[in-house]
Amino acid sequence: MSFAIALIEMLTFMIFGVFLAAVLDAFFYRRIAGRSGVSLLMPLYAAAAHLSRQRLTTEAPDRLNWFLSISGFLALGAIGLAVVPFGPQTAVIGMETSVVLWGACESLVVVLVFLHGWSPNSPLALIGAYRYVAIGLPIMLLSMFVLIAVALPAESLDLRAIVISQEGLWNVIRQPLGLPLFLLLGLSLTLRGPLDYGDSADLAGGTSIEDSGANRAGWQVARLAMLVGFSAVAASAFLGGYLGPVLPGIVWLALKTLTVMAVIIAMGHLLARMPVARMLGLIWKVLLPIAFLDLLLAGLVALP
Amino acid sequence: MGMNWLAKIAGLAEVPVFVAIGEGAPSDTAISLCTNPALRSVETPRAAAILLVVGTIPDALLPQLHRLHDQLPHPRATVLWHSGNRLSEATTVGGTEDIGASLKDVHRSLLAGNFDTEPDILPDVPPNEWRGIGTHGQGGKGMMGGTPYGRPMAMTAADLRDGLELDAYTADFGPFLPMFPPGLALTLTLQGDVIQSVAVVHPPFENHENRGWVLLNLLGLPALAERMLRVSNDSDTTLRRLIHLSGARAAIPKSLGRTYDGSDVRARFDQMTGISEHAMNAHVHQTGLDDLLIGLEWHEAMLVLNSFDTAPLRTICANTSDPEPDEKMEGGMDHGAHAGHMS
Repeated sequence: MSFAIALIEMLTFMIFGVFLAAVLDAFFYRRIAGRSGVSLLMPLYAAAAHLSRQRLTTEAPDRLNWFLSISGFLALGAIGLAVVPFGPQTAVIGMETSVVLWGACESLVVVLVFLHGWSPNSPLALIGAYRYVAIGLPIMLLSMFVLIAVALPAESLDLRAIVISQEGLWNVIRQPLGLPLFLLLGLSLTLRGPLDYGDSADLAGGTSIEDSGANRAGWQVARLAMLVGFSAVAASAFLGGYLGPVLPGIVWLALKTLTVMAVIIAMGHLLARMPVARMLGLIWKVLLPIAFLDLLLAGLVALP
Repeated sequence: MGMNWLAKIAGLAEVPVFVAIGEGAPSDTAISLCTNPALRSVETPRAAAILLVVGTIPDALLPQLHRLHDQLPHPRATVLWHSGNRLSEATTVGGTEDIGASLKDVHRSLLAGNFDTEPDILPDVPPNEWRGIGTHGQGGKGMMGGTPYGRPMAMTAADLRDGLELDAYTADFGPFLPMFPPGLALTLTLQGDVIQSVAVVHPPFENHENRGWVLLNLLGLPALAERMLRVSNDSDTTLRRLIHLSGARAAIPKSLGRTYDGSDVRARFDQMTGISEHAMNAHVHQTGLDDLLIGLEWHEAMLVLNSFDTAPLRTICANTSDPEPDEKMEGGMDHGAHAGHMS
């Protein structure tokens, strides 16, 4: 019964999260672009417009993998949210190695974005796919260091224990390098702004260049679902998750998730993307050493 | 025929438009379209409901326009604006009419079924005869080297940077790709996303548009790009501050796209976006696209292409020497199979 309730909570959280992410995205875009106002229903209109158009295919596509990439990406976002505790001991996927499961999801995103670019049999989509893999792999390493660091104070790889370990002090204070680095991973997982090397404008949409109709709507929804899943994980790993006074835990989690989402969306619109080779240099030479420093400091603090 | 509920809701959305720019298009086309709240300019024809042709597409590029047209999903329509072209079933909108309202009407009519979706212009058959040997076109050299439907399979060649043997892929790009200056069509050989050779198929159309907004878009800053189109650059200190804070300048590699006069993409970006008020005339008389693009990754190459005004870019195209014959792919392929848009 409690599993069913948690599942309903999660699905509701995801649906509202995707909707709010789309509204926030439009709000930030319009605000920065100097446009006035944003209609709350614009994302629904846009989705209906996508669904009202034909789903085109290309010459000799890999149809199965094309479908799997979109549906799989959506599923990974949902799994991300499922490992997040909505209250003490309340998570749809409550397991002692939930951080490892989330790490596997991060890695599978690289595979699925690659498949999304591979499947249409289209050159610019394929370039986007390869480029995403080149950037995605070192970003995953960075994420692993950061996640191990938040697991150290909890002495557990269970996200529920990691939240409980923040009752006295949130990890964002305890490990100040962690959240900024983790947000970079969020930009990469959700294909946004400075780390959108899969679907970028220089490739006219990259891996999604051939998506039309329901496929295009599905890919956009999957990106937003991943944003919700990632933001909830980040809120739990660094901002104390459901912990907070007065309000119910799920409300605190929702507020913190919304905050992380807003920061990622704003970063996506405000930070420039550099060419791939330059970004690779930055990740390997600067960001990974910083991530290792974060892990080292967390380890030193955790020593008895 | 009445509209179903999905079509009714879809009719409230911004109209997704793919814009094909031709000769004689107004230099403020991008501004007109982006400031129109009824429209959304999309980066691929797959995401569009309407193909908007602005200006006149010359006869030499009509085959590419036809291929582009056939890549829009149904229901679809074509609208001609400021254009001397005549396409069957296309709607012509006068230069003085409200383009937003006109496109909205066409879109709603399409969704309601009052306006028939346009059929393909080209037959749905391969553009070239089958010249492969095996089932999937393989054959010739080892398992590769066939030319299925006129497109040679990629053969390995030494990478320019480190000699690593990678597949080299040759195709035409342009003239309607949104990240290319309008009218520019190139034959590029790529290994991964590194440009190995370049030949000009068609130079860009003459236009006086400031491409600074395109550079911002290429740097992953579409909101700032739109802001640049919306406001007078000189008066918007917020825009300049946001560009500065975005790290856009630092994101552009130093010396990228350097011409013989010493200017590079960074300097031209500063000028185009109003960060620098220092007037600069690019001296490109000895510079060709081969000098600028070969060895660059795709993203860098797009930044270089859009960092020039049209006049110097046309000069650069004229200075570009064709690749040596042995650099070209064998087999007399028709790269046009991919022209207009990669799909």
